[in-house]
Amino acid sequence: MEDALSKICRAVVEGDDVSVVEYVREALQAGESPLRILNEGLMPGADIVGKRFEEGEYFLPDLMLAGRALKAAMEILKPLLAAAAATDPTLKKARIVIATVQTDIHDIGKNIVASMLAAAGYEVIDMGVDVPLNAIIEKAEETKADIIALSALLTTSMPYMKDLIELLKARGLRQKYRVMVGGASVTPEWAESIGADGTGRDAVEAVRLARRLLGEG
Amino acid sequence: MRDYLGILDRAYDGEYISEENWDLEKVAASARRLVRKYRLEWDRNQIIPTDDALIDAVFQAGLEMAIELGVYCRSTERIIRLTLDEIEESLRAMPQTLVMGEGKDARTLYARRIGDERAPLFFGGSPGSPIPEEYFLENVISYVQEPLIDLATCGTLTAIAGREVRTGQPLEIVATRRELQLLHTALARVGRPGMGMLAAQSSVSELGDLAVAQPNLLRRCDSHLVPLLNELKLDFRNMARAVNSWEYGMINASLPCVIVGGLGGGPPGSAVINVASFIVSNVVCLADYHILHPIHIRHVATTTREVLWVISAVGQAFARNAPAIIVADIYPKSGAGTIELLYETAANAIVNSVSACHLEGCGSADGKLPNCSGLEARWMAEVALAAYRKKMTREEANQWVLRLLERYEKVFAQEGGNPGKPFDQVYNLKTLRPTPEWQAMYDQVKTELKVEGLI
Repeated sequence: MEDALSKICRAVVEGDDVSVVEYVREALQAGESPLRILNEGLMPGADIVGKRFEEGEYFLPDLMLAGRALKAAMEILKPLLAAAAATDPTLKKARIVIATVQTDIHDIGKNIVASMLAAAGYEVIDMGVDVPLNAIIEKAEETKADIIALSALLTTSMPYMKDLIELLKARGLRQKYRVMVGGASVTPEWAESIGADGTGRDAVEAVRLARRLLGEG
Repeated sequence: MRDYLGILDRAYDGEYISEENWDLEKVAASARRLVRKYRLEWDRNQIIPTDDALIDAVFQAGLEMAIELGVYCRSTERIIRLTLDEIEESLRAMPQTLVMGEGKDARTLYARRIGDERAPLFFGGSPGSPIPEEYFLENVISYVQEPLIDLATCGTLTAIAGREVRTGQPLEIVATRRELQLLHTALARVGRPGMGMLAAQSSVSELGDLAVAQPNLLRRCDSHLVPLLNELKLDFRNMARAVNSWEYGMINASLPCVIVGGLGGGPPGSAVINVASFIVSNVVCLADYHILHPIHIRHVATTTREVLWVISAVGQAFARNAPAIIVADIYPKSGAGTIELLYETAANAIVNSVSACHLEGCGSADGKLPNCSGLEARWMAEVALAAYRKKMTREEANQWVLRLLERYEKVFAQEGGNPGKPFDQVYNLKTLRPTPEWQAMYDQVKTELKVEGLI
């Protein structure tokens, strides 16, 4: 018979945000720890979804539905994990503020990266598209983010990523955040030239980069 | 005009829905349902579908999606629903011929049919590729000097006098006006001043687009883009582009860039969304003609099997069910100065030509770099015309495409792609001829395909 954690994993893979909540509640009632539910139920499911997407078996809606399921499950687990993290700081998950920069209204690349980062267990604050630079910095400050992730598809919107880094420097905040940049025309050389901490070719590389920047990979 | 005022009203009065729910519960769910309902399947070895029932089903599914969903206005987070009458009337009203340009250089675009007796037309340029100001003019000339090129397009100016152009800022206006001035200079330089253009490519927001709608820049006989956002969405900024064409009268080209592997899932669902996008853009983009530009979710390029299938299915679906002027563009993975670019361009040109489309290209190197030149546009036209003159059947075309895929498909697995070289390294900027190395690659591939019987 399928155990509780396997059911949670399956619900994530199937993008079923109703069942996953039910299974998480059942597991908690049965005495499972929130951390085990996260690490052995939700995360393996997220890994499967990520792999299937990378291999072309899953498409964007599958990724978004899995992201929804994870979000629903995390709504239940978050307060419990926060309580645990208060006594054990190693349990704290990094927080990432992500946005498509001002003047750029393309969201699909950013959505994929946001879903994959959430699937990797990070707390992702998605600010949407065409977001003013000041608002991104304020949100990062307000939420005590670890990473600011910026997206731009348009070549002529890419300079705003540089502007944000300059703005962080001007405000004396640059050292507080790792800054990831991405988008169809962003190259590693360009990312380096504007003083970003890195870029990835796709969402899978973005997750690897986040792990590396946080000293996890 | 009055009809469009009603559309604007609906952007305020329509049903509210969050963008995420639009994506998932409307577009993705509808695509999934329609793919199942119409039993739409694709075969990765049948790049050019020949099953007419399948092609018609793609059209019917797209029509059903357009009627069921309408369009999402991102500015107000509301759904603009379209009535069946509006949609049917707009399909009937789609131009069957369209004159672009003026005088002896004018060309008449027409709604192509499968196996059409008339040759396709060719837009030459690398639409949207970032091109430095210092050789923008030379880059445009490299395309419009080609005798086979009928209409002009171009890249994007991303810097003016050494200053980076940022979307939505004053320099965007300067860049777009400069682009048009350079285009006119190029056309005059090659003795084709009346050539029609698809321009204002430097206008990423609406600013530049509005700033060039004047007779000495973007003429009434030229066209500009009115994009739809992914998927089946638009906003007031893009509606402003459509509205601005009212009194002035320039030609509107709709541009949905459907992501294959995105909300529609695989190629069949993506084709359905593309059909729906063209249908709604007749109404909300006031489209006079359509740019067929699906892109691959990971590789961007239009030359993957999945995207080529979508191009062919959508082009044929309209040709059989609601003939429209469709221009399918070519965005190869590879850049200028690589042999793979020529194979990719050849495969894409065959698909577009036999699938009832006109052609535009090439956005070489995914349109991300200035690694593009007029030589590949010449090649695009030569191959497409060869397919047309041979009266190539869809099955024959499919065999050619499969053979070409074998020669270039490896580029999708290459780390960093296959970017090639910038324009100034593949063309002599004084003579405006390809460098000997680039010319030799072209000669080699042309000879190879001549021996094999394609050219």
